[in-house]
Amino acid sequence: MPVLTILVLLPLVGALIVGMLPKRRPEVVFPVSIVASLPPLAVACYILWEFTAGTADLQFGEDVTLSAGFDIGWRVAVDGISLFLIVLTAVLFPIAIAASRSIGERIKTYMILMLILEAGVLGVFIALDLLVFFAFFEIVLVPMYLLIRMWGSDNRAYASVKFVLFTAAGSAFLLVSIIALAVITGNELGQFTSFDFRKMLTVELSDTAQLWLFLGFGIAFAIKVPLFPFHTWLPDAHTEAPTAGSVILAGVLLKMGTYGLLRFNMTLFPQATVDLSFWIALLGVIGIVYGGAVAIVQPDIKRLVAYSSVSHMGFIVLGMFALTSQAVQGSVFMMISHGLTTGALFLLIGMIYDRTHTRAIADYGGLAKVMPVYAGIFLFSAFASAGLPGLSGFIGEFTVLVGSWMTLPVLAVVAGFGVILAAIYLLWAYERVFTGPVTNPKLEGLRDLGLREVAIMAPLVVLIIVLGVYPKPVLDRIEPSAEAILDRISFVTDFEAPEFGRADEVVEPEYGTVDNQDGGSSEGGGG
Amino acid sequence: MQNASFLPVAFEVVLLAGALVVLLVAVVFERDRRIWGPVAGVSFAGAFVVGLLQWREVAGGGGGLFFSAMDLNVVASPMVVLDGYSAFAAIILAVVGFVGLLAAWDLVVFVGRRGPEFVSLALLAVAGLHMMAASPNLIVIFLGLETASIAFYILAGFVRKGKGSEEAALKYFLLGSLASALFLYGVALTFGATGSLSIYGSGSIRGLFSTTIITEPGILLAGMALMLVGLSFKVSAAPFHQWAPDVYQGAPSGAVGLMAAGVKVAGFAAIGRIFVGGLISQIDTWGPILAIIAAASMIIGTVMALVQTDLKRLLAYSGIAHAGYILTGLVAGVDGIPAMWFYVATYSLMVVGAFAVVSIVSGPASSDAPLADFAGLARRNPEIGWLMTIIILGMSGMPFFAGFVGKLLAFVVAASVDNPWPGGSNGYLWLVVIGTLTTVVGLAFYLRVVSTFFSADGSDEELEAGLPARFAVVISGAITLAFGIVPWPLLDVVRDALPL
Repeated sequence: MPVLTILVLLPLVGALIVGMLPKRRPEVVFPVSIVASLPPLAVACYILWEFTAGTADLQFGEDVTLSAGFDIGWRVAVDGISLFLIVLTAVLFPIAIAASRSIGERIKTYMILMLILEAGVLGVFIALDLLVFFAFFEIVLVPMYLLIRMWGSDNRAYASVKFVLFTAAGSAFLLVSIIALAVITGNELGQFTSFDFRKMLTVELSDTAQLWLFLGFGIAFAIKVPLFPFHTWLPDAHTEAPTAGSVILAGVLLKMGTYGLLRFNMTLFPQATVDLSFWIALLGVIGIVYGGAVAIVQPDIKRLVAYSSVSHMGFIVLGMFALTSQAVQGSVFMMISHGLTTGALFLLIGMIYDRTHTRAIADYGGLAKVMPVYAGIFLFSAFASAGLPGLSGFIGEFTVLVGSWMTLPVLAVVAGFGVILAAIYLLWAYERVFTGPVTNPKLEGLRDLGLREVAIMAPLVVLIIVLGVYPKPVLDRIEPSAEAILDRISFVTDFEAPEFGRADEVVEPEYGTVDNQDGGSSEGGGG
Repeated sequence: MQNASFLPVAFEVVLLAGALVVLLVAVVFERDRRIWGPVAGVSFAGAFVVGLLQWREVAGGGGGLFFSAMDLNVVASPMVVLDGYSAFAAIILAVVGFVGLLAAWDLVVFVGRRGPEFVSLALLAVAGLHMMAASPNLIVIFLGLETASIAFYILAGFVRKGKGSEEAALKYFLLGSLASALFLYGVALTFGATGSLSIYGSGSIRGLFSTTIITEPGILLAGMALMLVGLSFKVSAAPFHQWAPDVYQGAPSGAVGLMAAGVKVAGFAAIGRIFVGGLISQIDTWGPILAIIAAASMIIGTVMALVQTDLKRLLAYSGIAHAGYILTGLVAGVDGIPAMWFYVATYSLMVVGAFAVVSIVSGPASSDAPLADFAGLARRNPEIGWLMTIIILGMSGMPFFAGFVGKLLAFVVAASVDNPWPGGSNGYLWLVVIGTLTTVVGLAFYLRVVSTFFSADGSDEELEAGLPARFAVVISGAITLAFGIVPWPLLDVVRDALPL
């Protein structure tokens, strides 16, 4: 059964159904859209359930040649890296859609765009044909642009165009590089072109070609991540986007960048990866510190969370380019964790914005007295985002730091300060918004979170705790795929990942036996 | 090669006959469009069938050169060529002509008694356009060019009371005649340098280079340059584009689609026939020039489109940029022909569809089409709004829409060709980079247009669309989407649509 094709098509079918709803009954659009976003989640859960752990193999593969001449095909599969990004996407979309109650007018168009967006994002994470990947990577821009442009706040025209121009400029380089790589691959294989990712892996590229192609791919993904200094579109886009837009943007769209770096840059261009790893990790660390420092002084709470994203995404990039097994695993884990925690924060900000229509921190104060439940969930999400042990954010950051220490000790130490910065900006913001006396009379009498809103937050809270306490099942599935990428790098280049970084050398004698007995529950809380 | 078969010229014959029948029938049944209207439709349908028959004939090995002037005391000079190239042009032009006429039908209704003239001029124009693609003789290509151009000058000024229409027609006529004259002068100089007007056949332009050294390379150079200038004008490539925005805007909305799309199809067909078909050995000379024209068109068209507030002007500038993308494919020579055909085939239908929407929204006889008129289009008429969204996204080169495939093909062939310039072994990679960057910048205005369709502003009045125009938009949108997701059937066809 072509599970992955079904996965991508389901949101589109949902969009079609929403589009055909009668014009006279606008009230049914919202519930139907929520229902329409659930089948992809079910399929994603099925994939998660059926996924074989402990192997780096690409699973659920489909391969349909679309054009023999150009060697383009519908080639899709998942491995340990894309698996959880798919699940994250499928989890976040129903939540984001359910949180879009206040859209009101033109809700039908809004929901159609959300569902098209979901199909696009899912496509990005499963594509193994570079042209198909690019197609999905690019098409995501359109619904996202329209969501920001039409349902954003005051400065939306500026933010939406900036978002499109930045990302599309990156995609231009990506497309040129993909064409160049396809032509090179085709020449090697004696055909016109080949866009097949797996065929590209068999081609040995010269160092110069690797460098230029790495930069071409890299700039597209670096803008998407966004890596310092390409981050300037992000605060604007996040701040102006409607709540669901921010959740999706931070939760999954940014991951398209880090996923691309890991899947394509590091795998296709190993020599260039080794040569440039320090510099890219350095940009990541600059992002950690810079994003954190700037977040502290933001007067706008949504902008604050946006800058915190810059900081967290820096962690993810640092982990990937530290080129050790732990760090890469930590990066992938952090992609998921960041999607959950930042998604939760944006949802919470959206909920309070719906009530007060202000995002300025100065307008708030003492909110905990008025909305205790809200304050509790917010504090929880802030802790998770700042990396409190026992919650998902900690696992990712800790693993990344441990892993990077082995190859990039100085950067790891500097990055460690980023964790402190996160505590400062989040907790200080919490203090100003929630503690003290109620200064703004408008805040008095605000309704606390209703059942629907608690229900929206509940899955995220549960997942944050589960991943924080027991991350092993997730890491078990990420590990082989992460190691496979590093194996390829050390096989092709003279780079050797540190011994401690190789799980098969150290871990096997001890944990191998434990695993068989009780599933090895000891690792999760470790720290 | 003497051949009495009429299949090679059947396309022109059918359309000319259709044009005459429309005029004659209209004399009798002047007021009844239901009688002479279908004649035009049947003519295009017949022309389409002829195109398919020609395609089958070529696939069966029946192509070749026809109507040679053997009995004159000059070297054999065929007047018509039947190959995959001309057969594909016939199919595309029949479709574009038919859809363009559907889009123009509101205008035909609007002009009332002069409707038959409009329709027969459209039929004549399309016949002329095909001559540009189907003749190996430079003079006959010129005749086709003039037949089509003169018909279009009249169509541009068809709404005589509109001030814009008259201005557009005069401007188009004056500048267009100049371009035709330049082209003709180029033909004369090429004849002077090569001693032949024929692209194929014995003693032809193409045959010459393999055996003889050109004694007057300077004259040939001037001839090529002038022909290129003339044709660049017709396809509105920069820096010969200035007429396009004024003419597009001034001409009645209903007529612009047919005009813009038809001329582009035939203009590129002629460039391909003359330069890739006839002067391929000189590609090192004209290739770089074409590349510069392409780069200038992409940059100027995109940048100017950014600041437009009128959709017709915006589409005109975007058309200039698209001319650049198509030329990007053609710099690769024969490899670029399939890319050109795919692009031209899909883009021409998008243009027709887009102007059909303009005609629906702003009125068929109008000159101005401010973007503000399109606010809330998706709410006022969801069908038209979403289809127009598809068409505009197709033009912007978004994946999953036909425009992306066309651009990709053009870029791939341009990147894989050997660059004749010193030190350049990376093909025309610089041109591809310019192309992708202008595509990005282009997104800014295409998406602005799309967001206008969904904005909350504008009137809430439901927008009525006539059946023919609606049909045109549906065909255009469906093809944009279909060939964006499943381009392979068309790709297989254009691979065979090569000149002899």
